[in-house]
Amino acid sequence: MGRIVGIDLGTTYSLVAYTDAATRKPVCLADEQGRTLLPSVVSLDPAGSVVVGWPARERLLRQAERTVYSVKRLMGKGLEDVREELQLFPFRLAPGSESVIRIQLGEKIFTPPEISAFILRELKRRAEAFFSEEVSRAVITVPAYFNDAQRQATKDAGRIAGLEVERLVNEPTAASLAYGLDKHQRALIGVYDFGGGTFDISLLRLQEGLFEVLATNGDTHLGGDDIDNLLAEKARAEIHQQLKLDVAENPELYQSLRNAVIAAKHALSAEERTTLRFPLDARGDYVRELTRAEFESWIEPIIERTLGPAKRALKDAGLKPEQMDEVVLVGGSTRIPLVRRRVEQLFRRRPHCELNPDEVVALGAALQANILAGGVEDMLLLDVTPLSLGIETLGGAVAKIIPRNSTIPASATEMFTTYADNQTGVDIHVVQGERELVKDCRSLARFTLKIPPQPAGLPRVEVKFLIDADGLLQVTARDIRTGQQASVEVKPSYGLSDDEVERMILESIEYAEADFAATQLIGARNEADAVLRATARALAEPQAQELAPEERREIEQAEAALRQALAGDDYRLIRERIEALNQATHHLAEMLMNAAMQTALKGKRADEVNL
Amino acid sequence: MTEKATTGEKKAVGVRAPGICWSCQAEVSGEHFCPACDKIQPQPPDTDYFCFFGLDRKLALDAAALERRFHDLSWKLHPDNFHAASTYEQELSLEKAAVLNDAYRTLRDPVARVEYLLGLEGIRREGEIKQQAPPDLLAEVFELNEYLEELRAAKRAGGEAREMNELRHRLEQARESFQQKLECVLEELTDQFSRFDAAPESAARKNALQRMSEILNRHSYIRNLVRNVSDELEEE
Repeated sequence: MGRIVGIDLGTTYSLVAYTDAATRKPVCLADEQGRTLLPSVVSLDPAGSVVVGWPARERLLRQAERTVYSVKRLMGKGLEDVREELQLFPFRLAPGSESVIRIQLGEKIFTPPEISAFILRELKRRAEAFFSEEVSRAVITVPAYFNDAQRQATKDAGRIAGLEVERLVNEPTAASLAYGLDKHQRALIGVYDFGGGTFDISLLRLQEGLFEVLATNGDTHLGGDDIDNLLAEKARAEIHQQLKLDVAENPELYQSLRNAVIAAKHALSAEERTTLRFPLDARGDYVRELTRAEFESWIEPIIERTLGPAKRALKDAGLKPEQMDEVVLVGGSTRIPLVRRRVEQLFRRRPHCELNPDEVVALGAALQANILAGGVEDMLLLDVTPLSLGIETLGGAVAKIIPRNSTIPASATEMFTTYADNQTGVDIHVVQGERELVKDCRSLARFTLKIPPQPAGLPRVEVKFLIDADGLLQVTARDIRTGQQASVEVKPSYGLSDDEVERMILESIEYAEADFAATQLIGARNEADAVLRATARALAEPQAQELAPEERREIEQAEAALRQALAGDDYRLIRERIEALNQATHHLAEMLMNAAMQTALKGKRADEVNL
Repeated sequence: MTEKATTGEKKAVGVRAPGICWSCQAEVSGEHFCPACDKIQPQPPDTDYFCFFGLDRKLALDAAALERRFHDLSWKLHPDNFHAASTYEQELSLEKAAVLNDAYRTLRDPVARVEYLLGLEGIRREGEIKQQAPPDLLAEVFELNEYLEELRAAKRAGGEAREMNELRHRLEQARESFQQKLECVLEELTDQFSRFDAAPESAARKNALQRMSEILNRHSYIRNLVRNVSDELEEE
């Protein structure tokens, strides 16, 4: 069977975690450089291989059109859904994007599940390196407010990456597991999850290990991305005005501007003011003081948009904000002080933020994985479906059959018959959403019930709609008169067919090995460049004169060896020689460190030195 | 969990006849788990929500006891417990957990509970509601609809803030009044619970059911009214 890992497939970052069998504590796995976060960025190398994570993120600045980020926002979407949004992203769409987005990256075309699969495969590899065994089973988290198509797309991504998706868990619910709030005998918990691309609010009742979601609400199109886009647009407009230069015309330049405003955003979470500095070659730099107050006045409308869903969830749960015993913050965007203040105002209590808001969802996924693996028997999650399920009736109206916030699994049974003699099919259209009319809801799927020819009204076909523990719809039909299972072939309105997924699984296996080497190679080269630069700088310091000649020779030899390795494409060799150079410069580094310390301590009395 | 299945492989399923455990062939009579081998059992076809919870078909329910039973059954029936079990047991668990949740959703809410019961007793089809204004409320309903129409028209025309606020205020008052009526109707409904539960013979039962069906019509009419007003007021 093998172990099950927990994966947070995020808009900005993705992570993988596992639960330690002995301590029962979840742990995030780090890459070779000790980083647990993997940027959810994928880039296609001109040579045709795929690069994922940190090196891919660097490529946004050089090869924006071959690089894609925030692909989670495109999962389970059609062209119409994302038209507006795409103006802000540098992606190019390929034809045939009506029901599944197809992104053109260089010469190749990928769907969002395939791009997500590259990210998942990288995490799978990270886990396999850690455990030294194959990892093929995972719990993957999704925003609570994801609809059926978005959930299915996530599951498809897992399959394409060679992972058996054992469960899709809602992110805020996962976070509540990780917070260890189960020590409570009985408590009401609010989880405010404001991430890179999505916002969720979930209200839970916790009772002796049972995590029962009472209501959930959210916006799958609201997150830190929106703040970044807003800031980038403000800066672009100012630059345009001051320097008569439209940064947006150059995708790479626009990406570096985006990075600069993100850095400013991060700085303003800790500081009251920051300087946004953006170098623009010949025309001079764009330098701008930004205070937290100004920043907050800009982003206020975005933060306000989270309060509507929060209030609706409270109303659905029949709760008042002050009734919540604990409120938990999840997602990187909750680092923004204004967000914390708003949450505190709404719930009239200081929210929890002890756990790293970037890691907490992955940790929760690892806990749910451990529950499924049988390692935990005193914890159980009862989640809900975020959106009402309905079927189309006459005149384009919706008959709701499973209301939103129903505990899942949930089911509804409907009886269908024929209106004409010898009618052999009944068309059924399933939708998701809260509105009264089909056109205002999300089309999920259509199918035709096949019925043997009989007089009108005689056939009685019972159709069962079941939302499983992943929040995914299953449909079965049974002819009541014959007791036979009727065939139901559900055609999803948005998403990939089974055949397409199968084909993508095969294609992705071909990519797998080559891509891994390519990603590693880029990472190793970047690191080698950095180490070589640092060595050169160190050798130029006056203290380096004191090096013994043989030491200096050793360093120079190690440098040459690394440069030689850099000319090739063996990432293992490059890493080996980076290590060798680090060894050779060890003494030099110490000498520099001591010298720096002496300077710093000069003029201080001994009792002031507190080492 | 004692119900956690022990074998991972799909094993051949034995006889699936009603009244007999599919796994050990012991006699079963509608329990969720076989009394002999503890394996999860399929749902007998005529199980209603009351049966599922092991309750008599009575309307007066102890909410706290119902919740306890729901939690208890959730721990036992949830698909998480059958992750390593055979496909058949996984199917059973999924199906039963869904029915459990559906049943709890229905039974915990007095109105849904009565609607469900009326369906079971053949008094009316589930969800079938007469959308007719109760005669004694006609005047008030008429007034309310007029305000609603005026507010909608004012919104479309981008009306003055003062006028809109005035309309909103009137609508809020009207909603308040209907909200109170709704509570009275709910009380009327629950008053019938003991009548139904105590009725031994079918005529009196039928009588109580008919009365509840009428009250329910009134209830759903007013509830929709209140909902419409709330939607309009909270739209912006």
